[in-house]
Amino acid sequence: MDRMNQMRSKAVSVKRHNAFLLVNYSPPKYLTVRMSHNSARAPTARTEVLSDGLTLVVVSGDWTIQDTLPRISFKGDKVKVQAEALGAFDSSLPAWLYVHLKNVRQCDLSALPPRLQSLVEMAEKATLSSDRPDPPGFFENFGSWGVESTHSWGRAFDHIGQTAVGFARACIGRARVNWSDFTLQLQTAGVDALPIVALLGFLTGLIMAYVGLIQLRQLGASVYVANLVSLAMTREMGALMTGVIACGRMSTSFASQLGSMNVSQETDALRSLGINPVEYLAVPRILAVTLMVPLLAIFATFVGIFGGMIVACAGDLSIEQYLTQAIVAIKFKSFLVGFIKSIAFGFIAAWAGCYRGSVAQRSALGVGDAATSAAVLGITLIVIADALFAVIFNLYDF
Amino acid sequence: MNDVAPILLCEDLVVGHAGQPVMSDINIRLPAGKIIAIVGPSGCGKSTLMRVLGGLDEPMSGRSELLGTDLVHATALERESVLRRSGFLFQGSALFSSLTLRENVELPLREFLPIPPQEIAQLAEYKLALVGLADAMDKLPSEISGGMAKRAGIARALALDPAVMFLDEPSAGLDPVTSGKLDELILKIKESFGTTIILVSHEVPSILRVADFCVYLDSDTGRMGAYAPPKDFLSPEAHAKAHAFFTLARIS
Repeated sequence: MDRMNQMRSKAVSVKRHNAFLLVNYSPPKYLTVRMSHNSARAPTARTEVLSDGLTLVVVSGDWTIQDTLPRISFKGDKVKVQAEALGAFDSSLPAWLYVHLKNVRQCDLSALPPRLQSLVEMAEKATLSSDRPDPPGFFENFGSWGVESTHSWGRAFDHIGQTAVGFARACIGRARVNWSDFTLQLQTAGVDALPIVALLGFLTGLIMAYVGLIQLRQLGASVYVANLVSLAMTREMGALMTGVIACGRMSTSFASQLGSMNVSQETDALRSLGINPVEYLAVPRILAVTLMVPLLAIFATFVGIFGGMIVACAGDLSIEQYLTQAIVAIKFKSFLVGFIKSIAFGFIAAWAGCYRGSVAQRSALGVGDAATSAAVLGITLIVIADALFAVIFNLYDF
Repeated sequence: MNDVAPILLCEDLVVGHAGQPVMSDINIRLPAGKIIAIVGPSGCGKSTLMRVLGGLDEPMSGRSELLGTDLVHATALERESVLRRSGFLFQGSALFSSLTLRENVELPLREFLPIPPQEIAQLAEYKLALVGLADAMDKLPSEISGGMAKRAGIARALALDPAVMFLDEPSAGLDPVTSGKLDELILKIKESFGTTIILVSHEVPSILRVADFCVYLDSDTGRMGAYAPPKDFLSPEAHAKAHAFFTLARIS
């Protein structure tokens, strides 16, 4: 202690001569406690039940957050805590006492050092406000899930409705639409996607031709590989592949963009300005993708047919044979089927992204979830829509 | 030289942004267990200075020491060790949005303490109870108010029992009652844990309540204007601009 006093008096003398402002150095209280103990002792705790039913909890040793703390258990709701040869302590001791005593009805801390007493009481005082509710049980969780699912469907239909109204208002020129977004998205969804659409379309045609050629050769009908590839690409694969690519590229992108805007309250700002976020943000995006996906699907169809031609001509067919068969196979009706499908797939991909983005939770995790669920929702809806189209076109012999 | 090592020391410090000095001539010598407030007009470099003092950013020139480590010449490991003994509350609380309040506080404990999970949970629960959030431990940051987020940020900063805490505008945007409660909490942390606290603030009543010292940054000259106990700024003999700032802010 003498050394401490010396240090303090030196600090006062320094203050007089120093250009800086310096007051008496008083070390932190818990550091003062540490200084008086050279070697740390393990934290210990024991309990005793006294004759009047009072449980005595005695703590001793040095308590630091680096140490493994002792475990005690006791019954009864009258507890007195006492310190015995208590050394240095940091927040681990008040935390330990707080957790062990928070459910005790009558707790006497008066025998503890005042600083420790105040650290425990600070937490207890702040906790007294209310009892924590019990965690929800299985049925409550199941019920909450059911209600949330219903709400989720409700929000989805509401968003579809708002999108439809937004398009209608845009058609009569009454919607507030961000047209600069529209031109930007035309480029992002269209021109920027050409390389990946070309690659995947080419490989799809190539794979179909390869598999088809092996089977058809056994029947001596290799020439029909051209029909197989061109018909499949035109009616089905061109639109489907492009729809899936749009989900991977645009749905996730829209969900992230709109989700982030949700987090930074930009969508709230739009609402406060009297602008409908669906009209302003979703309509231009959905329109751009719905216009671009059919064009990309036509491109993918031709690239796929070209891919098939490479394999077919490397095998049994000449270029003339392949092209003649392909032109015969592709009817305008088949071409129209693929085109109609691709419009629907483009709409679905863009809508899924905008919808999931607009209902994203306001957190980094929420934005990530929105992007993932947008891709999943988009692809699922595209496959379902494809199946429905197959049934409808079959019914009407299209 | 002084025999008593200050917990925070800076001499002729210059701080700035993107190669441009914002504030220079900063000389502070702060003893342990005290609260210092950095004040000044908006955009004068308060938060920039706080980041440099805490070792998050490098100064442009001068000397800056924290907890006895020269931050200018420190190795990455030394700097990390100083940061581990410091706690930060950022302006927007900077809680990890995908984690609950309990998980936010548990994160540094899990990373740095070799203790069992139930003790980590115990410490996190206590720190959140200290700041009055025992009932909101399992909520996500998006589900709580701004004042609660500030308190949760303080609980996370307190997680490892830091020797020094940096609080960037702790009471900004809070109502006077919540702000008053936060001041009480800051004082209790100082008194009970002996923590040195460096805070950036605009709130003069709050500074007068909690701070032992105050640094006034003069945006017109780009230099540190004054360094004194905050009550000194209320007297007319004090640094003219600091006095005007304190008086005007107090009236408003």
